Amino acid sequence: MFGLFPNAWTVTVREFSLRIKSRAFQIVTLILALVGLGLALLPIGISALGLDEPSSVSVYSAAPEADEAAVALVATLNGMEQITLEAEIATDEAGGREAVEAGASDGLVTVGRAADEDLTFDLYTGEGPTSPVVFGVTAATNQVAIGDRLVRAGVDPSDVGHIFAPTDLDVTPVDPNAMDEDELFGPRYVLATALLVLMFMAIITYGQWVATSVAEEKSSRVMELLITAATPRQLLLGKVMGAGGAGLLQYVVIVGAALAGLLLQGAISRLILGENVGEPVELQGLSIGVLLVVGLFFVGGFGLYATLYAALGSTANRVDDIQTITGPMIIIGVAGYLVSFAALNAPDADWVRLLSFVPFFSPYLVPVRMVLGQVAPWEIALAFALLLIGAFLALWVAARIYSAGVLLYGQKAGLRSVWKAVRVNR
Amino acid sequence: MSLVVDTITKRFGEIVALDGVSFTAEPGRIFGLLGANGAGKTTAMRIVLDILRADGGTVTWKGHANADVPRRTWGYLPEERGLYLQMTVIDVLRFFARLYGVPSREATADVEDWLERFRIPDYRDRKVQELSKGNQQKIQFIAAILHDPDVLIMDEPFSGLDPVNVQLLKEAFLEMRRRGKALIFSTHQMETVEELCESIVIIDRGKVVVGGQVRDVKRAMGRQVVRLATDGADGTDGLGWVESMPGVSLTHRREDYLELHVQSDTDPSSLLQAALERGERVTRFEITDPSLEEVFIEHVGRPAEEADERHLAPAQERT
Repeated sequence: MFGLFPNAWTVTVREFSLRIKSRAFQIVTLILALVGLGLALLPIGISALGLDEPSSVSVYSAAPEADEAAVALVATLNGMEQITLEAEIATDEAGGREAVEAGASDGLVTVGRAADEDLTFDLYTGEGPTSPVVFGVTAATNQVAIGDRLVRAGVDPSDVGHIFAPTDLDVTPVDPNAMDEDELFGPRYVLATALLVLMFMAIITYGQWVATSVAEEKSSRVMELLITAATPRQLLLGKVMGAGGAGLLQYVVIVGAALAGLLLQGAISRLILGENVGEPVELQGLSIGVLLVVGLFFVGGFGLYATLYAALGSTANRVDDIQTITGPMIIIGVAGYLVSFAALNAPDADWVRLLSFVPFFSPYLVPVRMVLGQVAPWEIALAFALLLIGAFLALWVAARIYSAGVLLYGQKAGLRSVWKAVRVNR
Repeated sequence: MSLVVDTITKRFGEIVALDGVSFTAEPGRIFGLLGANGAGKTTAMRIVLDILRADGGTVTWKGHANADVPRRTWGYLPEERGLYLQMTVIDVLRFFARLYGVPSREATADVEDWLERFRIPDYRDRKVQELSKGNQQKIQFIAAILHDPDVLIMDEPFSGLDPVNVQLLKEAFLEMRRRGKALIFSTHQMETVEELCESIVIIDRGKVVVGGQVRDVKRAMGRQVVRLATDGADGTDGLGWVESMPGVSLTHRREDYLELHVQSDTDPSSLLQAALERGERVTRFEITDPSLEEVFIEHVGRPAEEADERHLAPAQERT
């Protein structure tokens, strides 16, 4: 096909096998896989260490006139929605203080009544002013104190609960397709974000591999032998496929370890703790179709970015130059990434639809649209076809830069000198 | 039936790297490409290999343009040595052979054969980085010939080799010539050229200053070299009379003999006759062509070695 094979394949095999056989690759992959697994199993670790136990507060009534208020405060604390606190009545103030000092309890609230009949509260705690304990106690004491004043002002105690009942606010968005709160931060949103971050990291990281690898071949001077034996296009494609394949393998191992951790969380926590921690993880919105599309767009997107990375790598004189030279690629990559983050909140907006056909953006935007919004199969097919065309155009341009770049030694690396060389060389 | 380079021209911006360079290399012959550093040798080789395009002129092999000739026609040993250091010798060589379409099994047998010739059979499974520079160079030579190319182009193949390895490489050259390959190499060691090459071209600042069969190039100098010694009491000092002879000039006075240039319109044997007539007892009389070193100095204006002094300077753009 286009005179690319079998040489491109020969280059691919060399690149891939040398890479995965290298000690560095194996160690990094193993460490990252362990990190991924560790992150996935973090909830189990937290509960095994008891870090997730709710804060406990005891309430002591310093005067008989405050007994009723103390009971009400315990009920209010236990019933709070945003913060989980466990509250109970303390019968002994000194004992309660000791429990706080010993760390067995997170706070002791002493309730009393002042001369003007208002309730007084005193919180004895080791927690900081922004801690959930102080926050929760502040809210609960306010509620109890106001209820107490209402009763003293003559409101029927049975009506007080009704007064504090929360209102029911209905939100009607201008855009009927806008996501409500549950959707916005729900599992699909998390999945789309995760796919976006993974795609971005893969392209940047493994694109850099390709650039570095080309620069190494140039600086070790093996390049002159290579371009005599094979065409720049064969070399570029082989390099991109080899490094991309090794990168994909590393990625599958890491993400696979994390995914296995997530899916096996229940079984592992039953094994270690004898009980299930948290809710079982549901990968809502993740289907074979999504995985397939993500895979295809990774291949196409990586092909597009990595061939350009390779072209830039060919202009480097030393491997150290890579960071500077690949700057433009990182800018394009980050631009796509940021645009996609904006798209997370409006997956069906017209500008998102339009940009999802642009090769540099489609690897990010099509998976986002697929998970969060509506995308027709023909749109996916068209975006992918355009991406492939873009990648082949990139290969053609990159081969021109590459064949000029690899023979440029000692000149200031950069697009200008390469452009000059490209013009001279054909 | 040969490699014909016809008036190729190449510019890099303002710099004219090659200006109408032509030469011809025949199968079964070794061709020398001579010139100072920066003269344009490497550029010429790259154009022949079609990794650079000329601005003008043509390169043909057996009548076909070089771009249309299969890649495996060419074998190339670049001046800048480089291999994949992390790979084993056999893996590197198989890789390059495969790029040229040679099956691994065939390549393996050839590699073992050549390692044997180069007296390094034990290095087959060693990593390239464990080999000395000289041995790496031999591996690179093998990489250039494994696919049995018809034309072998080598840029300074002898530089950096010790005498033993130089000898091994010369033998490899002769083997390739015996197999009917066209060999082209660049060098600044004139003795090697005299020993191996049938034809040469000398390039200076992108232009061919002289070229053709070594014998003809030497003859074209328009003179012959005579070395003369007698057993007179004054040694070579007593031979001052030779300078007064027409067409003869003294170029080098040594204790053991005189070296003279004799213009081609003068018969060198008249010197011997004159000496005998003067009653000198001649102990040495030798007529030869000028050395290539002299040819080079005559045409380029400075010795090849000196002209190549920048050779070891750090990588610069090769033109």
